[in-house]
Amino acid sequence: MVDHSALKVNQTGIIATVLVAFIGSGLWRPLLVLIPLLAIVLLLGTFVPRLALFKQLYFQVLKPRGIVKPRPVQDRPEPHNFAQGLGGVFLAVASVFLIPLPVVGLALALLVAVLAFVNLAFGYCLGCQIFFQLEKRGLVRA
Amino acid sequence: MSAQLWAVAVAGAVVLAAAGLETFRSRRARRLAVRATAAPAADPYIVYFTGDSCTVCKTHQEPALAKLGGVRIDKVDAVEERALADRFHVYTLPTTVVMAADGRAVHVNYGYAPAPKLERQLADARIGQVNIATA
Repeated sequence: MVDHSALKVNQTGIIATVLVAFIGSGLWRPLLVLIPLLAIVLLLGTFVPRLALFKQLYFQVLKPRGIVKPRPVQDRPEPHNFAQGLGGVFLAVASVFLIPLPVVGLALALLVAVLAFVNLAFGYCLGCQIFFQLEKRGLVRA
Repeated sequence: MSAQLWAVAVAGAVVLAAAGLETFRSRRARRLAVRATAAPAADPYIVYFTGDSCTVCKTHQEPALAKLGGVRIDKVDAVEERALADRFHVYTLPTTVVMAADGRAVHVNYGYAPAPKLERQLADARIGQVNIATA
């Protein structure tokens, strides 16, 4: 069972952080630091779920106060964790490019936000589809 | 701010290229899959490819299939039944294949297919069946 509200809060957090870094850095460049920070948050959350910042925000604050209602769905967490990790890797690569090639770094970060938005709005999870392809070829196991 | 504008242009180009590639892939797979066959049945039916990693299957596709009422749905795990999934060129989940009663694939939907679309496709499959019966 997976609480899809936690996933939605996570996606919203990713979109908001990238947008603040993307738009804000045009006015105040140090805001670019949000992109490597987000990469760390996503990668940490993938390997140590209790350190997943946005999910913890949901479980510790938003859910207990009734701000966001839970939506448990019979589902497997592995594809979602994989997708989150993939987002983290893309943001880590984006972070490497931010200083020498800011256009590439910002474009990669923006793509992560676009994919998070597609997942949030339409339920299409690209990372989950990649997980399915790898699983079909026996390259990953649940 | 110019870096941001260029980044929007680059990201937009990547998204457009990916959408174009996806459309090409989907059309090619559909063209190949429509030639595939499965077991004949008394009425048109649906072969529904799903998997444990597919969230949209549970949240969207299965409720849509439930709305179809008495239509036979053959649920197939695309990871477990790889040969059958490959026959219908399943590259994404969910995939729904509307089969005519004689076992021919009439319509293939890669990605979520809503109930009204499936109903129209089933009606097509029934008309095909009548045409064959009256020919």
